[in-house]
Amino acid sequence: MDIYEDLESLLDALPLKDGLRISFHHHLRDGDGVINPVLFALKKRGVKDIHLYASSIFPNYKAVQDLIESGHIKNITTNYLNGPVAKYISEHGLKGTLKMQSHGGRARAFKEKENTVDIAFIAAPAINRDGAISGCEGKNAFGSIGYACEDAAYATLKVAITDNLMPIKYPQIKKGLINHLLHVDSIGDVTRMASGTLMITKDPVGLKIARTTMAFLDTVKAIKNDVSFQSGAGGTSLSITKMFNDYLKAHHLQASFYSGGITKLHVDALENGLVRDLYDVQCFDLIAVKSLMKNTHHHFMSANDYANPNTPGRIIRNLDIVILGASEIDLNFNVNVTTDSNNRLIGGSGGHSDTAEDAKLTIIVSPLIRARTVLIKDRVNTCTTKGMYVDVLVTERGIAINPRRKDLLKAVEGSTLDVLSIEKLQKKAYTLTGVPSHSDHKKTPIGMVEDRHGHVQDTLYKKE
Amino acid sequence: MARSYLFIPANEPRMLQNAYVFDADAIILDLEDSVAIEEKHEARHLAKNFLQSHPRGSAQTYVRINAQKDWLEKDLILLKDTKFDGIVLPKLTLEMWALYERKAKALAFDKPVIGIVETPDAFFELDQLASKKKILGLILGGEDLVSSLQSERTLEGRELIYGRSMLKMACAKHEILAIDTPWTTLDIAHLQKDLQHSLTHGFDGKCAIHPNQVPSINETLSPTKARINFALRVMKQFEATKSMRFSLDGQMIDKPVLERAKATLEKAKFYGLLKEELHGHL
Repeated sequence: MDIYEDLESLLDALPLKDGLRISFHHHLRDGDGVINPVLFALKKRGVKDIHLYASSIFPNYKAVQDLIESGHIKNITTNYLNGPVAKYISEHGLKGTLKMQSHGGRARAFKEKENTVDIAFIAAPAINRDGAISGCEGKNAFGSIGYACEDAAYATLKVAITDNLMPIKYPQIKKGLINHLLHVDSIGDVTRMASGTLMITKDPVGLKIARTTMAFLDTVKAIKNDVSFQSGAGGTSLSITKMFNDYLKAHHLQASFYSGGITKLHVDALENGLVRDLYDVQCFDLIAVKSLMKNTHHHFMSANDYANPNTPGRIIRNLDIVILGASEIDLNFNVNVTTDSNNRLIGGSGGHSDTAEDAKLTIIVSPLIRARTVLIKDRVNTCTTKGMYVDVLVTERGIAINPRRKDLLKAVEGSTLDVLSIEKLQKKAYTLTGVPSHSDHKKTPIGMVEDRHGHVQDTLYKKE
Repeated sequence: MARSYLFIPANEPRMLQNAYVFDADAIILDLEDSVAIEEKHEARHLAKNFLQSHPRGSAQTYVRINAQKDWLEKDLILLKDTKFDGIVLPKLTLEMWALYERKAKALAFDKPVIGIVETPDAFFELDQLASKKKILGLILGGEDLVSSLQSERTLEGRELIYGRSMLKMACAKHEILAIDTPWTTLDIAHLQKDLQHSLTHGFDGKCAIHPNQVPSINETLSPTKARINFALRVMKQFEATKSMRFSLDGQMIDKPVLERAKATLEKAKFYGLLKEELHGHL
């Protein structure tokens, strides 16, 4: 492993060329300090037509937009994007194509050589001289480095960028994989890793949805000893995690595992004996980082072990319940978390379609009406997760169960839950908002949504 | 009958849109304190539009009008041809009642009224106020009352012991609803403590100033499972013995206990807390 003390010396040693394929992980989220300097340096050296494989793109990744505008970035393959880059691509597209994958799909595509990367740039909170990397040690420890494992394993060249070259105790990426090491003052600001979306909601509509979700789970008797559970990082999902913990405690139950992105709420459950194990692909706050380092029942996992559909032992294959959000859902229960109704990119699958497909019970939670816009469409603008993998929709105005889940429909018979067909729930919303007029704005394709198995699932269009 | 009465500012369309989703037993569209003077006109029209076109939920619907004479009249004129369950009349005194009756009569306005008792004067007129035929219930206006008394709301609630007792006494005498004052911070632990005062004094319901207060109010003011089970056993034993005086678990059951058991079961049935097979006991 060659060690460099400045970026320019490192770049001198790398085989830079037009059409370069490079990857980054997003574990530092909005506190990342690696992607911007590397991209700006590549631009300065005149590297054109870059294909960027970033596991996610956050508002702070200013260089991405800069290099798209200047033509230095041609293609992007990612799992999630928001902020100015998402806005820019929505309005202008790319010189090449945008491909949206899922977390499990990205891991599969690396492993199966579909995502072929020339150089992986890996922000490493701590690395030793053998190239073993720990996400849990160092001043910018962000915890699990799960989304970088496949980059480290399968890219042609692997470059670690660290602010701590030191002996490590908890290796997550094994020694011997890294070719080059760049030693810098700082890889970012880990305190900016946790964003505002990672708070339990105080919004009364969100809390109503959370209570209704728990009432549904109780009615269908889904919460038993050894249950496994995952929820997203939105406010309503986190409220459900809190209520799920409270339910386990009140009923003297213990869950087998919680998985996915891990927060203080998950750690609380582990420390209070409400869940036996945590499987952590990404820490969402610093309490989760500390727990991953000290608690032997808090396990690191790679994206491959988490959600690769071709990994038989993937964790989410044993997942009982997953709680997910939606920006749109349609009458066939297809879910969109990638764009809004006007083609504006607002996110992406992340683990949405992975967990929905694998979990035994997939529940979508979302307000039925947001600012006079109805959640339920005749057809989603973009299909992120297929309706065949979605079981239940919980809103503040009622619950819709996918008709193929006859067991759940039977289980709620005679209950006080407000269960109605998704068509009736849509009509209920229309009585308050009116029926929206349909406009066809799918004119200029800018990219695609790829399902976790590598098939094209939908097309992304420019915001006109 | 209602456990929770949720105030919805009539000048906030987003709140109006969600008015029925928070599981409140009753909502009160507010034209008074939560609406700034310059927004009164708009709020009246939003309230009217809501009452005319918004699909009704299962919650009872009331409107708190203004006490100020001109505004009160304007409120009533605009509400005249709309459907809702009753008026909430602030600053209730005999004088206010006379004003309201005069205006309501002139407009042939004949809705039931829930009055807010929030001034020292009103407490000296409670018996007469509670006896009015159109008055469905009384709300304790704790914040204004303690201000008049140059006191402050506390978690211990000692400043309102007399007010709560007096109001409940008058309501009980005239068999109308007694509704407790809202807790005005959003700390749910504090609300739960304040709710114990509502329970102790026997209030039927409590006002909520935020949707997140509703679940705690509904839960606390519902009959507990233990009380429902005891009431069911009392009624079962009563049906078996046909006697107004018998023993159950070593406790003497007589008419007052029987009546309380019956009231508990009626309340439980009303709030959907009784399973179907148990309804026969009522």
